[in-house]
Amino acid sequence: MSLLMSIFKMTCKDVYPLISEEMDHSLSFSRRVRLKMHLAICNLCHVYSKQLQMLRNLARNLGKENSQAIEKKTLSPDTKEKLQKYIKEKI
Amino acid sequence: MLEPETWVENYADMLYRYTLVRVKDPDVADELVQVTFFAALKSQHTFAGKSTEKTWLFGILKHKIMDHFRSAKKNINLDITDADADRIQFDLAGHMTPSPNNWNVDPEKASENKELAQVLAKCMNGLSEKFHRLFVLKEIEGLSSEEICKEFNVKPTNLWVMLHRARNQLKLCMESNWLTKE
Repeated sequence: MSLLMSIFKMTCKDVYPLISEEMDHSLSFSRRVRLKMHLAICNLCHVYSKQLQMLRNLARNLGKENSQAIEKKTLSPDTKEKLQKYIKEKI
Repeated sequence: MLEPETWVENYADMLYRYTLVRVKDPDVADELVQVTFFAALKSQHTFAGKSTEKTWLFGILKHKIMDHFRSAKKNINLDITDADADRIQFDLAGHMTPSPNNWNVDPEKASENKELAQVLAKCMNGLSEKFHRLFVLKEIEGLSSEEICKEFNVKPTNLWVMLHRARNQLKLCMESNWLTKE
């Protein structure tokens, strides 16, 4: 009974740190159960959980070698010239 | 076959952008690309031709970036401070406010959304040096929590708390920069 009480008494504020935490390590059994139970009945936390997952997926994509997200950023012309000169001297 | 005289033209911007996603300071990113080219020139004989030139250069850069993270750890205090407080608000009933929404995108396809990734890049720049570093290590480099704690002397509970708050800041920033643009 007390477990049930603690599950249903939990507000989003109590539960939502677990959503992020679960992305970083595996939760204990009781915390995992509490999280799952809450997510099943709370749409807001469910959406929040999706947001964090989207952040993770976006970050992974942003970090790829061929990511196009910041394609407007370029190495400064000065540095490029310096490097090109250096390379010419060395080969 | 390596063609160093074409490196700057073919790879400099690509390597720079890869670095800029991981280090906040453009000067540091600039320098890391330079040291990568210097190191590549010096170790041309180690290129076995098993990978492409591009992959080989990226391999060197990745080492340089991790070296930078390790040497910079003295300069970044990775403890929790008052400035790191959680910025998510709750109403009296204990619900998140404003209510989170799905950012008007299909979660399954969100990661391919270039504009959304641009907003994330911008929002990441707004993070403190500390939160930026931890988020990069965890979500971009994909290190495990154990690896981060060990390598950077962070207590696991502190790491989880800080990653949580960093994600929350990013989420709030994404919402104000993405959803309000229409």
